Amino acid sequence: MLVTRRDFLKGMGSLAAYAAASGGLFAFPKVGSALGGQRTPEEIVKSTCVQCVNFCGIEVHKVGGVIRSIFPDPGRRDYYNHGICPKGTSGLFAAYNPYRVKVPLKRTNPKKGLDQDPQWLEISWEEAFDTIATKLKKIREDNPSKLIWQHGHGKYLIGDKFPKAFCKAFGTPNVVHRTTTCESARHVADELTWGYHGFLPDIDHCNLLVVFGSNYFEAEQYARWMDHAVTNARERGMKIVAVEPRYSHVAAKADQWVPVRPGKDIVILLSISRHLIETGNIDEDFLITYSNAPQLVGTGGKVLRDDKGEPLVWDTVSETATAYVEGVVPALRGSYTVADAPVRTAFDVFAESLAGMTPEAAAEIAGVPADVIQKLGEDIAAAARLGTTTRVGDVVQRYRPVAIHTWRGLAAKEFGVQNWRAGLMLQMLLGNPDAVGGLHLHSVYKKPAYFEPSKCEYPPKRVDLAKSVFFPNGQHDVCQQVALTLLDPKAYGLPYEPEMQIFYATNRPVSTSDTATQFRSFDKTFNVVIEVNMSETAWMADIVLPDLNYLEAWHLSPTRWTPTTKHTAIRQPMTNVYDIPYDAFGVLWELAKRLDMRDAYVDNINKNWKQKKHPFEKGRDYTPREAVELLWAEKTKGKPFEVALRDGFVGKKLGPESTYLKGVEAKFKGPGKPKMMFYGDHMVRTLEKVHETVAEHGIQNIDLDQYEVAYSPVPIKEHAFPTPHREAGHLPFYLITYKRMYRNQMACDNTNPILNFALGKDTIENYVVMNAATGAEMGVREGDQVVVETRIGKLTGKVQLTEGIRPDTVGISYHYGQASPGFPDYARKGMAVNDVLELHPDKVSGMNSFNDTKCKVYPAAGEGRQS
Amino acid sequence: MKLVRVIDTKRCMGCRSCVAACAVENHFTPEAPWNVMIESEGGKYPNVYRTFVTMNCMHCENPPCKTACDGVKAFAISKNELGVVLIDYDKCIGCGYCAAVCPYGVPQLNQQEPARLYPGGQATPYEALPDTQRHWTHRKKAKVAEKCTFCWHRLEKAIEDGKVDRIGKDPAYTPACDLVCPVDARFFGDLDDPGSEVAKQIGTKRAAQLKREYGAAPQVYYVLEGGEK
Repeated sequence: MLVTRRDFLKGMGSLAAYAAASGGLFAFPKVGSALGGQRTPEEIVKSTCVQCVNFCGIEVHKVGGVIRSIFPDPGRRDYYNHGICPKGTSGLFAAYNPYRVKVPLKRTNPKKGLDQDPQWLEISWEEAFDTIATKLKKIREDNPSKLIWQHGHGKYLIGDKFPKAFCKAFGTPNVVHRTTTCESARHVADELTWGYHGFLPDIDHCNLLVVFGSNYFEAEQYARWMDHAVTNARERGMKIVAVEPRYSHVAAKADQWVPVRPGKDIVILLSISRHLIETGNIDEDFLITYSNAPQLVGTGGKVLRDDKGEPLVWDTVSETATAYVEGVVPALRGSYTVADAPVRTAFDVFAESLAGMTPEAAAEIAGVPADVIQKLGEDIAAAARLGTTTRVGDVVQRYRPVAIHTWRGLAAKEFGVQNWRAGLMLQMLLGNPDAVGGLHLHSVYKKPAYFEPSKCEYPPKRVDLAKSVFFPNGQHDVCQQVALTLLDPKAYGLPYEPEMQIFYATNRPVSTSDTATQFRSFDKTFNVVIEVNMSETAWMADIVLPDLNYLEAWHLSPTRWTPTTKHTAIRQPMTNVYDIPYDAFGVLWELAKRLDMRDAYVDNINKNWKQKKHPFEKGRDYTPREAVELLWAEKTKGKPFEVALRDGFVGKKLGPESTYLKGVEAKFKGPGKPKMMFYGDHMVRTLEKVHETVAEHGIQNIDLDQYEVAYSPVPIKEHAFPTPHREAGHLPFYLITYKRMYRNQMACDNTNPILNFALGKDTIENYVVMNAATGAEMGVREGDQVVVETRIGKLTGKVQLTEGIRPDTVGISYHYGQASPGFPDYARKGMAVNDVLELHPDKVSGMNSFNDTKCKVYPAAGEGRQS
Repeated sequence: MKLVRVIDTKRCMGCRSCVAACAVENHFTPEAPWNVMIESEGGKYPNVYRTFVTMNCMHCENPPCKTACDGVKAFAISKNELGVVLIDYDKCIGCGYCAAVCPYGVPQLNQQEPARLYPGGQATPYEALPDTQRHWTHRKKAKVAEKCTFCWHRLEKAIEDGKVDRIGKDPAYTPACDLVCPVDARFFGDLDDPGSEVAKQIGTKRAAQLKREYGAAPQVYYVLEGGEK
């Protein structure tokens, strides 16, 4: 059946008769008609929500086979979430959404574009699999690298280990996740500093939490633990300072709001670091014993090493440069002469770099009064309780009840790695990593390779250029780069031209800056999209495969740890609203069979999931439930699956020894151990490799001057000046982005009637959020239409005036303004801010620069009233 | 037994999950919400504050809505054995006096036939649940008043199950909005039970009724931050 765009939308909605005739594509299933009685018993199923990245425990209540309501799982209270958000509460409408993709669709209009009608043709699953498998076979025989698998939220729907196993068996290195649209710069900064990523403030014991752009009261990883943990801590007296340009809900519940100029947070961190050093409010013992701050730096910026490659420190006992071994007492500060050359400690390199970063200098850049910066530094120093220890259970540990927290606030920037490095270094000065009340680090030094310089691969193996000379520490993929490489593979030295992309639960172009460029790349490949909804990416596909919703599929769910808990959970299906026979797990399994690589796939599944006692067997198929049973058994060391079905999870509470002593204490403390990278010696060495690689291959499109800035061994004030700030000074406003509670990146909330119509009149669209005084100056009133124009485009939206944003800043939230014609009009309201954001990715991590763009704003109807 | 709700606006983070839970649980009627979030902002940049207050029916001990309804001889509004104020849709004449006199703006006059949740779309299986599987409070009608029932269908079940003492303690016998709060800002239970969470919250946090000057004696208490509209 040929389905036009008009048919698609009409069929999704009201045509009941058409629905009946069409069978699977448009029809809702019938509700049992013989259900009677005053109270039909409720069936309650425990599962895990996966609409965002919090993975909250839920109880799904069914009546007569219909999902009636969703509540938080009380059993999960002690391990993660106390409640659930409005998305989770109304999650049944993600399943009962009539605008879902329900059968495989094939494009018949070869022209791709959001302005094109794909002329969808309904096809059978058999035809879809046959078409896809035939193309894959040809690619595999030619060059498997020509297949690109991209997932976003798909990573959490069936886990990225299945796609990675599939692609490994297939032979392509191109599995690309979305982290550069999330927080990869934060992760990479962590990894470059302590050998792995992920941290949480030790909120139970923290007395001062300084938040540089983390919106845990609205939408963020770990938000559903942070929200109640922070609220409880606040009730017992913990103070919160929110440093952010926009007065978020976090600021609304803070003790102090510091409205920093966008992108300039780093100079506040540097200025406070300077204050701590100048006033002696630093944990010298921590810096000497756990970090590389005492290591000696030569004139080239590299740490001196002995013949064995061990870094050298200045031993105050022997007065010589030596490796830090038993008996050596390193000097934290000082300049020395080693082998007739001047050297100084890494600590001094940093301290001296801060000389000009007075509160007044920082104030000038950050737009925050100097006395506010000074006071914040004093408050942090006072809260740190330097020199003290405390007891938690049987553990006596450093007591540093102050922590700095961030997500995209410091990360989503051109110099995101360096911004968060500044936060980490400040906290190392205080000695708060893994201290009671400080910053709890996750899986410390799990990957020692992160302390080594990047290989700066060239030519790149991967289409996203991750870990190549272009993004040397792109350790979390560089998703937005795929499109750019596709448009001009030779420019990046890619030795092949990709032919096919499979997108699994990702709306990649829409979630990336400079959206138009992303869309142009779709012409370059044959595109298969596995998606619940007719997203923009799906609209551009050659074949769309429907996917099961999170309430319809099995999975060993991802979960979130906290400083004192961890748990293993499942998702289990409660319904299959449109009788869809496959989720992505099933799709991959079927393709592996048709490609005659099922056994190789199984090998890689066992390897990726670390299935040792409960491996998948070769020579047979697995249903999704059978797969989850095996994964559950392995992860829970053989707990009966009945426990998973009954409780949805199994949790573990961690004792203080696990919380405080297994991280930096075990990995870094004392002589003979690796050290936290206070000083980025490996960054200096990576930069050296970049220079060598560029020279060796004659690479023309790498600006070495910018890599010099990006790979500075310590954060510097230049990291407060991303490209648009340097080049677009004529544009008066900073443009920032943020998330709201009522939408997220999975393109399904936009159709949810509860989120659109039941929560208030302000949730169906987003706004150009502007300071009230600025609006008055421009003659703009609440609700007026204004144009927001950047160097790459413009959009029009409705003004919302507030006292809660800087006068030089406008904010536009994400997840509105959907452009796919596959959505009804009410679900397309608002603005898609990514359309006008400039893309200047962080050269270290590849992180997208979502908060760096500058703009002008003017009334939509008027001319020349620019401010 | 005196059933009350306590809402701690100092803890509330404004997520509106309670609003969503109410809408789903009570078969939301567009334009006639039973639970709303009022966000208000005050101060002048950069000295700003924002407050979050959710409002639902106060289930007053002296409900002005009932007085008005009785006054027009409709007798559609009752206050039942657990102190819950309910509207009988079959008796309601749609005069709107209850909405006019409520100091809290609670009753909503549902002007139109209950619409499909997806504009222009067919009913979802959730909406298609037959009346036999809906509590009478969820069998919505056009041109009648409707409002929060303290999730009477859940409290009634406690009576049916002989577990009135579990109201506010067992999720099955607790209003939906009070079950989903991510930051534990809502409590429901028996004020006459000195060991109940609501009694403790009111005592320790000085929770108070809003607009006490109207004499309606609401059964919803608020811990206020100050600055609320």
